[in-house]
Amino acid sequence: MSKQKSMLFVLLLVIVMLAGCALPAAETAPAAHSENAPVESAGAAPSSTSVRSTLRFPHELIFNGSESLDPASPTQFTAAMVLLYNRLARLDQAGVPQPELATAWQANEDATEWTFSLRDDVTFHDGKPFTSADVAYTIAHILDPATESPQASLLDLIASVETPDDQTVVFQLSQGHADFPLLLTHRATAIIPENSAETIGATGIGTGPFILETLAPDGTTTFVANDAYWKGEPLLAGIELISLPDAEARTLAEQAGQIDILFDATPTQTDLFVNDDSYTVLRFPSGSWTTLVMRTDTPPFDDIRVRKALQMAANRAEMIALVMNGEATVSCDTPVAPNDAYRWNGECPQDIEGAKALLAEAGYPDGIDVTLYTTSSSAQLIPLAEVYQQQAAAAGINVSLEIAPADSFWSDVWMVEPFVVSYWRERTADQILNEVWRSTAKWNEAYYKNPAYDQLLDEARTELDFEARRELYQAAQQLIAEEGGHLIPYHVNQFHIVNNQVSGVTAQALTEIEWHTISKSE
Amino acid sequence: MLTAISISLTATKQVAKQPGQSPLWDIWLGLRRSPSGMVGLCIVLLHICLAVAAPYVVPYDPVEFDTDAIRAAPSAEHLFGTDKLGRDVLTRTLLGGRIALLVTIVGTGLAITWGGLLGITLAYVAGIVDELVMRLVDAILALPRLLILLLIASLFGTDTGVLILGLGFLFGVAVIRIARATTLDFVARDFVLAAYAMGAPRRTIIFRELLPNALDILLVEGALRWSWMLLAFSALSFLGFGVAPPTPDWGLMIANSRDILALAPWATFFPIAAISTLIIGVNLLAGALAKAIGLDRGGGVRV
Repeated sequence: MSKQKSMLFVLLLVIVMLAGCALPAAETAPAAHSENAPVESAGAAPSSTSVRSTLRFPHELIFNGSESLDPASPTQFTAAMVLLYNRLARLDQAGVPQPELATAWQANEDATEWTFSLRDDVTFHDGKPFTSADVAYTIAHILDPATESPQASLLDLIASVETPDDQTVVFQLSQGHADFPLLLTHRATAIIPENSAETIGATGIGTGPFILETLAPDGTTTFVANDAYWKGEPLLAGIELISLPDAEARTLAEQAGQIDILFDATPTQTDLFVNDDSYTVLRFPSGSWTTLVMRTDTPPFDDIRVRKALQMAANRAEMIALVMNGEATVSCDTPVAPNDAYRWNGECPQDIEGAKALLAEAGYPDGIDVTLYTTSSSAQLIPLAEVYQQQAAAAGINVSLEIAPADSFWSDVWMVEPFVVSYWRERTADQILNEVWRSTAKWNEAYYKNPAYDQLLDEARTELDFEARRELYQAAQQLIAEEGGHLIPYHVNQFHIVNNQVSGVTAQALTEIEWHTISKSE
Repeated sequence: MLTAISISLTATKQVAKQPGQSPLWDIWLGLRRSPSGMVGLCIVLLHICLAVAAPYVVPYDPVEFDTDAIRAAPSAEHLFGTDKLGRDVLTRTLLGGRIALLVTIVGTGLAITWGGLLGITLAYVAGIVDELVMRLVDAILALPRLLILLLIASLFGTDTGVLILGLGFLFGVAVIRIARATTLDFVARDFVLAAYAMGAPRRTIIFRELLPNALDILLVEGALRWSWMLLAFSALSFLGFGVAPPTPDWGLMIANSRDILALAPWATFFPIAAISTLIIGVNLLAGALAKAIGLDRGGGVRV
């Protein structure tokens, strides 16, 4: 009898608990809805027939809250750039620059003078019309040493910017650059309004499809549609850009429906969604690359033989199989994308004996101890470090792993410790080769300084013949593969995981997507 | 947590002792009468045996990758399945216990030793020194424990030695209060006064008169500290501040497999099961020990 009573009691308890669970759930649903409602109504334009929604997607909080909306800033809030701004030119899916804020461009014979015609129907978010003066100002802002822009070392070939009229800009280059428009496709060259240097980091006033509402890099940054967008009215009412530094947290948020798009997912993350009808997985080979960076100015990596040995110890095919589920292309320490016309394809098989011999020659006959810093910032980085640790052990390279927290890795470890993991989004060949290896580059993470390399890049830029230019870019890649301080095992295939309520997302990098064409149904 | 522990030694002291029997023997007899205590003891012993035997019985190399068996489900080949790099989960779970047990057992020993001795000494010397040290202890105990551990780990690295010293230090601070309070109960009793009157040096009084009488309490305290330390150690590993990869370690296995929880639940389940059973075992044991020496804590042992 007493047993029955206690059973009843337990049953009662369970029911109460279930009710307790169910109640808040029932309460949160309408609450979440009403939270969205004001944004919708505020954003809904009278012209639109259907109710527009707010889309949510995460960013990685790379700069730990000090993200700036200034495109030229070293702590650029990357995910927000394409929402707020436009560039003069934009890459299409084949990697060819297409006019955006410009309508056309032409160069003189030796590519030292470039004339850009500009659109005349574009206004900034504050209503000010876009003119050539804004372009000149943007370039001057990037080149201003006080800005500390990572793009400055790439654009310092611009000797002067002339603005003969409101719709024409003439760039005078100190040396020719056959692919000059490519440099202006980078998001750091997004056009800001004249005289906005002081405020642009917080206001984000650009010409893009969305207008900043609230800026909170370490929380939720919100945007509302720019209904006067010159490419057309955005199909969304607004966007919430949510800080989720941890890769696992992003996966869970996507599964829970707290975010609508998971950009740059790993194959492992993708496996969770690929058989789920509620999601679409977009897959595309990309120029995003992962690297193990060795600081060339710090022992033991200041010895090229040590760096070479560490590179030779890697079995890249196995890394791809284990870390990327096969979803990557082997790269022999070049950052240039596999589908880029300037890509150099070398040979880099694992060579344990060769690595051992080099280490012995460098004074480490009994092996070498190194510490590799990794982080959970991207889901592939810890497994990659673990796999490399194992592979290198065969060559007598004893790798200790230090796992740094995702929210402080980029500020406290990267470019500080001598041996770290790193990864980069897609860039054009000239951009990436200059941005990470040129002696004066701000993000020269391996602290590689070689005038011969800089000269190769200069020569490549001025070379007008495509074949000859390609040879020069390839020679530059070969040089950094030899001595540039990077172990770049592969370029990843990228995956965007898109909730099926969302349509219009294209299989291309987050920074190149046309946001005004994306829509979301409730 | 500590305030909840009310210590009354009277119960212990009232147990009639037969000559020749040590207090430890009494505890063993008490433990024998407690079924839950015996279950706890068995679980703990099983874990220790597995950890000791692990290197000789594991079927695979714990760091060997298998590109053909990535995230393989449990099967005859891999009883516990494999993780995302194709490593055998059974092998890594078995070996993972070694580091956890090593760090926490040595750490607990350390904590009990220094915390116990300091606590007893403080109770005996009393006065201003006692007052000062105890306020310092209060201050340290007021801080979140995991925060201090993270601080230690980021200052001194995550070497196993550092971990043991850090955990031993931190958990020893809590032991000071227990040891002191226990000793205060009988520090003014006749046998201590007698020893003092006979001119016994302070060291002799502490080691020969006070310590043996506090030993049973310290034993229970040690078992409790041990289970807390296991939790703390696993948490540290999970956060990346414990042992470095590729050392098989439960906390680390859980951390590195949590993103494949939906795809390969076995990779997280088994290390979790290992931690849970060990901690439950230690807690059952600690509860039974407390009962055996006559400490009744009302609410029982809190996990």
